[in-house]
Amino acid sequence: MSARYGMVIDLDRCTGCGSCMMACAAENNVPPAPPKATTRTGLTPMLVHKVSNGAEGAAKREVFIPVTCMHCANETPCVSVCPQQAVEVDKATGIVMQMPQRCLGCRYCMVACPYHARYFNWWDPAWPAGMEKSLNPGVAVRMRGVVEKCNLCHARLHSAMEKATAAGKKEIDPADYIPACMEACPTGAILFGNLADKDDAVYSAAHSPDAFRLLARLGTEPKVYYKSEQAWVKALAERDSDHAKESKHV
Amino acid sequence: MTSRRYLLVFGFGFALAMVAGWVAFPRALYVRREQPLEFHHKTHSEKSGLTQCDSCHALNSDGEFAGMPPTEICAGCHAEKLGTSKSEATLVDNYVKPGRETPWLVSSRQPANVWFSHAIHMRGGGLACSDCHGNYGESDETRVYEQNRISGYSRDIWGHSISRLRRAPHDGMKMSDCEACHRRHNIEAGCLGCHE
Amino acid sequence: MKFSRRDLLIGSAGATAGLLLTPVPWKLLGDVSIWTQNWPWIPQPARGPVETKQTFCTLCAGGCGIRVRMAAGYAVGISGVRNHPITKGALCPLGFAAQQLNWHPQRLREVRHGGRAGSWAEAQAAFEKACGEGPVAVIDGRSGRAASTVLEAFARKRSGSYHVVLSAESEALAPYAEWSGVPVTALGYDLENARTIVSFGAPLLDGWGTPGRFTRLWSERAAGASDPQLRLIQIESSLSRTAGRAWQWVPIREGSEGKLAAGLARVLLEEHLVSSHGPMPQLSLAEVAAQTGLTSEAIRDLARKMVENRPVVVIAADGNPAVAALNVLLGAVAAPGGIVQRREHLQAQARPQATFVSPRAVLLDSTVPWEFAPQTDAEVFRFAAWDGGGNKTGWLLPAPGFLEEFTDVPTAPTSAVDTYAVALSLVTPSPEVKSATQFLLEIDPSLPAVEKVIHLRCEELFRARQGMVYAEQPIAITTFASAEKFEEQLRKGAVWVDGPPRPGGVRCELKEWPAEKVVSHGTNWAAAWAPPVFPALATKLYQESNLREAPAGRQA
Repeated sequence: MSARYGMVIDLDRCTGCGSCMMACAAENNVPPAPPKATTRTGLTPMLVHKVSNGAEGAAKREVFIPVTCMHCANETPCVSVCPQQAVEVDKATGIVMQMPQRCLGCRYCMVACPYHARYFNWWDPAWPAGMEKSLNPGVAVRMRGVVEKCNLCHARLHSAMEKATAAGKKEIDPADYIPACMEACPTGAILFGNLADKDDAVYSAAHSPDAFRLLARLGTEPKVYYKSEQAWVKALAERDSDHAKESKHV
Repeated sequence: MTSRRYLLVFGFGFALAMVAGWVAFPRALYVRREQPLEFHHKTHSEKSGLTQCDSCHALNSDGEFAGMPPTEICAGCHAEKLGTSKSEATLVDNYVKPGRETPWLVSSRQPANVWFSHAIHMRGGGLACSDCHGNYGESDETRVYEQNRISGYSRDIWGHSISRLRRAPHDGMKMSDCEACHRRHNIEAGCLGCHE
Repeated sequence: MKFSRRDLLIGSAGATAGLLLTPVPWKLLGDVSIWTQNWPWIPQPARGPVETKQTFCTLCAGGCGIRVRMAAGYAVGISGVRNHPITKGALCPLGFAAQQLNWHPQRLREVRHGGRAGSWAEAQAAFEKACGEGPVAVIDGRSGRAASTVLEAFARKRSGSYHVVLSAESEALAPYAEWSGVPVTALGYDLENARTIVSFGAPLLDGWGTPGRFTRLWSERAAGASDPQLRLIQIESSLSRTAGRAWQWVPIREGSEGKLAAGLARVLLEEHLVSSHGPMPQLSLAEVAAQTGLTSEAIRDLARKMVENRPVVVIAADGNPAVAALNVLLGAVAAPGGIVQRREHLQAQARPQATFVSPRAVLLDSTVPWEFAPQTDAEVFRFAAWDGGGNKTGWLLPAPGFLEEFTDVPTAPTSAVDTYAVALSLVTPSPEVKSATQFLLEIDPSLPAVEKVIHLRCEELFRARQGMVYAEQPIAITTFASAEKFEEQLRKGAVWVDGPPRPGGVRCELKEWPAEKVVSHGTNWAAAWAPPVFPALATKLYQESNLREAPAGRQA
């Protein structure tokens, strides 16, 4: 298999419901952090930000921006700083794979990530009594002291690979590998697929004139694109350093 | 104190440490644990005619591996007691009748963050069960389960040889063993390929 | 030979050197590091085979199709059902973490009375005594279920009363029910055929009606486009999620929806934009402008936009009759794209009573939202799976939680077509838990059992020979050989959907413009949700992201 998995998120369709956040956390056994956790210390591999255009009253407009690991393809910052080689860019899929079990918790990668898409396990994962029975068996539970992030639901990729092999096929069926966030989105704002496949819907979406990437000027070549027909939203990507003030999560 | 005496005392300490490290330590490190009941593969394959591993240790249609067969597979023949053995009585009374799963101690159990796909290695890679698990299917005794007191994993993961030198082909299921075989066959997996 | 301290030191040196050449330090290092990564208090998921079952979520009346992954007898993953004809794979955000609900810290696991632990025997004795002393009011939070039939039958047999708590969406349909005589439970919106939807604060994209139905429709036909096939006009005092995505957001002063509706009606009639001739509201356009904060010109413009792309339908957030009257004027009642009457094949629908006779006891089913607190001195027997806090004087009876009860899924409020499905009990509830119907059946075994009612309903639908059954593929109900085969499909997660709504039916005629009625404002989607708690994950994620405010009173 040789793919470059990525996403295109249509910001005109995102209603900020948070279903993607829930589904991601449920799929990845993300523990509910203790009550003292804040927006900075919580664990949100998928995090939806609310950004406004700065106007008030009838001219006010808001957009919701789901942010996950961007799976940077060029000089991936977190990969280059990790002393443990706990993260690598997978050659076959382009997924930037974080190995929490190898991480020693220095958090250098959290500093390096321009998108603040990495989260630290400040506490032991703990669920209310009995709730561990509802954990997803496909994903390992992490421990305190390691960094984690979105891995594009690689457990689902594994299931798709296994299913394809059992059926005697060499390539996976794209319909079998859908990350939790895309599956959950009620408006279909999140589109996931193989950016290297010209026939994949995500390819044409990523190459549409309305598509843009956050912090593209850094040159990390993120594989998560955003799309909007609204000019002020597109302008955000360019002026993001000014608009960082508006967002509740920096 | 003569230097000969030094040497003697030194050698004595050295020898003591060697014995402790090579003989006593491996014995102390592992604790033997009992399986919930005895199971002899050979007896079963002879009596039932199920000679293939995947008669009970099957892959389902999605490619998922059943691992230890669920109680209902055993119940296919042992819904009632067929013989007089104590093990069978335990199976039928404690697990088949109440509909509970037998708490087998799995000697090849990997950590939670490992993804090993039997479908991909067997159907895709052409490996046979015995390539990694040995000819266990032909044994007529229940294998002893030894558990590492500190790490909690089965001895089969590290392998029987404490030094890992001169070990049998399928003695050991550590990551380095997987990597060695992948290197031999020139199959790259990356971190993503094997980890959850 | 004397054994001295020097011997000891030299011997130790030898032992150390020797130890380094044994596996001990290296193996211990490795094993201890593994040990530190496997603390026994870190929860581990279940091991073993994972099965996937298809059923329906019963946390609200939406009845979304769900695929539940099960391991070791518990739900470990929830996702939607892509080929469900209405929800199309969508769920609400809370649905994705619903598998956690049964272990929520506020889960009720024992009978409580007056804040102290009680027993089922005591509760039953107290209830039977109360029934003997006076009438009992039975309150149902979700009418139309098989369980509703049982609840209503009990109330009737004991000369009590049966009441239904309507959801906010149903409240918004109440005016049409009042004017036409058609029961509110038979009305819905034919959104699929509308080309303009004017919402007066109804959170259409954020928890209104069945999750997925409108979001999918909107995404397909309206999202992002500057001239969409479906125009959503949101009239709301603040920039809600729906307002932010709408084709047009009309910001008005809070509470002035009814006034705006009157103003729009005036423009529609004066400019002959509708074929109807009345009734004319009394407010003048200038007064409406003053009250709403819009200019007269803006109101005229809005009225013209409303009728530009027909069919148009107006959706209110509550039962304000002024807003409902606008639909009558627009001709959106009993027309494609508007308010429609469903065919209602299932005859044995429980009919709610309007008046609340002063009862001796009140029994609330677990589907009654926690916000509904009956104002009464009667002894309260409340069934609930989760404790929402508050008043502790009555009986709190632990009901089955998520996926723990075998029940049916009747048509969701606001649906344009009738649907029917059956939700399985995938998880074995703890023995301490009992549903209201089980409780009543123990008191009066002559009542019909829920399973029996469901079976009879399947027979009724089968005999009616209408509609399609959506399993792997949609198939007509007439292709089934028997009612049993039909019920079998439903038990596997299929859903029956009726044919399109009948034309005509609902007839509303207004002699005069209705007076405004002060009703509760807006639908807080989470407040209407029967479990009074969010899944723990939802609470934390919303806190960690500031994406939503948790409604007041909800705890983590």
